[in-house]
Amino acid sequence: MRQYDNLALDNCIKCSICVTNCPVTRVTDKFAGPKQNGPDLERFRLEEPAAVHPSIGYCSNCKNCDVACPSGVSIATMNSKAKGEFVARHGAPLRDQLLARVGLMGRVCHLAPALVNWGGRVKLFRWLGEKLFGVSKDMTLPQYAGKTFYQLMRQQKFAPGRRKVVYFPGCYVTYNTPEVGLAVVEVLAKQGVQVLVEEFNCCGLPLIANGLLADARQAARGNIQQLQKYADQGYRIITSCPSCNLTLRREYHELFDLDTDSLNDHIMDVFEYLNELARQGELVEPLNPLDLRVGYHQPCHLKAAGCGVPSKEIMDRIPGLQVLGLDAGCCGLSGSYGFKAEKYPISMEIGSNVFRAVEQMGVKQVITECGMCQLQIHHGTGVAVYHPIQLLALAYGTAK
Amino acid sequence: MMQKKTDVLVIGAGLSGLMAAAQAAEQGKQVLVVAKGSGALGLSSGCIDLWGYRLDQPEQVCDDPLQEIVRLVEVNPEHPYARVQDVLTESLAYFSDICAASGYPYVTSPGGNWLLPTALGTVRPTYLAPVTMAVDSLGEAKSILVVGFRELKDFYPEVLAGNLKKNAELAADCRINTLMVSVGGGDLNPNTLAHRLERPAVLNEIIKQVKPALFAGTLVFFPPVLGERADSTVAADLAADLGCPVYEVTNIPPALPGQRLQQVLLRFLKHQGVEVIMGCTVTAARVTGTACTGVTAVGNGKTMQITAGTVILATGSFLGGGLKAGMGLIKESIFDLPVKTCAGEWSDRDFLALSGQPFNKFGLTVNDNLQPVDDQGRVVLENVLITGANLAGCNYPVEKCGNGVALATGYKAGKLAGGVSSAAIR
Repeated sequence: MRQYDNLALDNCIKCSICVTNCPVTRVTDKFAGPKQNGPDLERFRLEEPAAVHPSIGYCSNCKNCDVACPSGVSIATMNSKAKGEFVARHGAPLRDQLLARVGLMGRVCHLAPALVNWGGRVKLFRWLGEKLFGVSKDMTLPQYAGKTFYQLMRQQKFAPGRRKVVYFPGCYVTYNTPEVGLAVVEVLAKQGVQVLVEEFNCCGLPLIANGLLADARQAARGNIQQLQKYADQGYRIITSCPSCNLTLRREYHELFDLDTDSLNDHIMDVFEYLNELARQGELVEPLNPLDLRVGYHQPCHLKAAGCGVPSKEIMDRIPGLQVLGLDAGCCGLSGSYGFKAEKYPISMEIGSNVFRAVEQMGVKQVITECGMCQLQIHHGTGVAVYHPIQLLALAYGTAK
Repeated sequence: MMQKKTDVLVIGAGLSGLMAAAQAAEQGKQVLVVAKGSGALGLSSGCIDLWGYRLDQPEQVCDDPLQEIVRLVEVNPEHPYARVQDVLTESLAYFSDICAASGYPYVTSPGGNWLLPTALGTVRPTYLAPVTMAVDSLGEAKSILVVGFRELKDFYPEVLAGNLKKNAELAADCRINTLMVSVGGGDLNPNTLAHRLERPAVLNEIIKQVKPALFAGTLVFFPPVLGERADSTVAADLAADLGCPVYEVTNIPPALPGQRLQQVLLRFLKHQGVEVIMGCTVTAARVTGTACTGVTAVGNGKTMQITAGTVILATGSFLGGGLKAGMGLIKESIFDLPVKTCAGEWSDRDFLALSGQPFNKFGLTVNDNLQPVDDQGRVVLENVLITGANLAGCNYPVEKCGNGVALATGYKAGKLAGGVSSAAIR
């Protein structure tokens, strides 16, 4: 589908179904809603690009509007463009500039991860952070791992596999949860699949969500160039983060009008890839039983990918494992959104449905694919939260 | 390219699609629901209309919709109800059981059809209503209070009150009063307001504002915003604290009762192990002879091949995208199945003609197994079943049968897809 087909304003019949599915509008009137900021104001923006409402800053970029729209209008893209226009005109605060550069933050924090993690727990620093920069003092900060995914990979020895894939780990796995990346590599190694490791740019989603579109486009171009050479050789490109996946597969094309046609079919969520192996009868079994009862949270960006829950089929194969869908909508964090002092209460209010579901089901562990959802659910409930690939690695007995 | 395989594929997540999925899963089948968007159910009133008016006197509300449908099928065997008469009561019971078990019960009126007030002060006939909307004995009320919110557009208590006197058979001494309350200012859409009312502090504030305007035995009408979640107790809490019956009236979309019903059914499906993928559009089908061997779906700019034993087409009509209209041309959007239109004019210049707009009756013709047939009555596709607004022959805006047809045809398609092998359908 060409870009303008999806953006076509006249496809919007003003049914407001996007508004009813917007988690932000649900809990606050500070966001005028996806319809008003998207298709309604877009009409004016065609004539006058300055027609951007300041409330656009409250869009969390969760993309539930896109999923709900029965007319195929890319509301979220209109909103992302509007946010970019607003930031281009009015600038972004230093806080947003920093939060948007997740890769840079990762590299800096990685110089002394223990110090950064300690600092993030000191109340005085957090108080200052809120007063001076507007970073919520209450939100749990991501913990930086002692060694990055790439450093850990250099220490690993894997036998050459029958097949090779490229892995796009994303910033959160690289700097914060390298154990998830290792689980991906181990599970794939079990299937005789060798993972090629190369360092990529941040996918650019945090930049997009903060309206810094020019920088995001630059990151996109770099990534496409790097990934294209693998796609041209027929390699699969594996992701474990739904937001990276969505950004590579959809935003590059829809938001930046970059050509990703020959790339798209190569990019796969790790569980999509495992399902493909399973269908070919090549998924290695048996899996060890896991006597666990866990809640499952579907990240909004996985929902937006329109491919269902690829991890479900594989999780169903683990004997003894009971997975209960929390089915409670958006967790509310939305990347950097919930770290911003003025948005933290909104983020928590949105997430309260998820927190309530965890409590009502009485689960002690939750699995979800998105690193930010993992952080938020842990922050809101205190339960342990894992990526489903970690449970699979456990069932293969390869988890460390 | 991604591959997916399932016993039953349901395309569309409106009422008929969700009912079909529930029933097929009930029969032990693996079910996948794929939908372009979130489905029109969330935009509906939340009530289940079966049949509104008398066949012989279209201005009169019919007392017993089930009996009226028996007569309808005799005089109009082309109507979709004729295909599902065998399962109609069974499907209604199944629906009611799901809702009751989910803690969001639906009730029937002792008089057959409910006559429920709308935001415009008209009364609409409907068969099943959620408890929060089921206004009992409107005609005996001595006093009615219509409450609006300053923050909410599209609901004007005076309009409701003024028109209700003309449209409903109220007691001669019935007083109707109106009241505007506030939750603290600003402009709120129905969902934001409904969410806010779930906070006890906000609700108490509303109770304080309403109480002084009440008389003993007053019926209190609110716009349909009393709580966002299906398990919300806003209406019940209001009724208990005010000491009066509290109801939500129907209003234009977006209204919460339709969204709550959608939540209930989606959650039920999840518990049944049904996979639901939204934001994924089925763009083409592979057909060999009279069998559909699979469909192509596009989600997120990526193509997926889905193979299924049975496909249930629940894509709706023009609004849902199941039928596409061009100049002098109407097409079914996935299989290009034959669409039944009409010989004369397709539209009536009188927009709200009592006989209805002819184009609303356009759709697909099916046999008693809900398989699509051509104008000779020959089955076009053996393993594709058609439900809901996709079907030809009903004019739901005037007949008040949209959700009834969706519910019964969805149920039957699910039952056929689930219980009977595709060979037996043939």
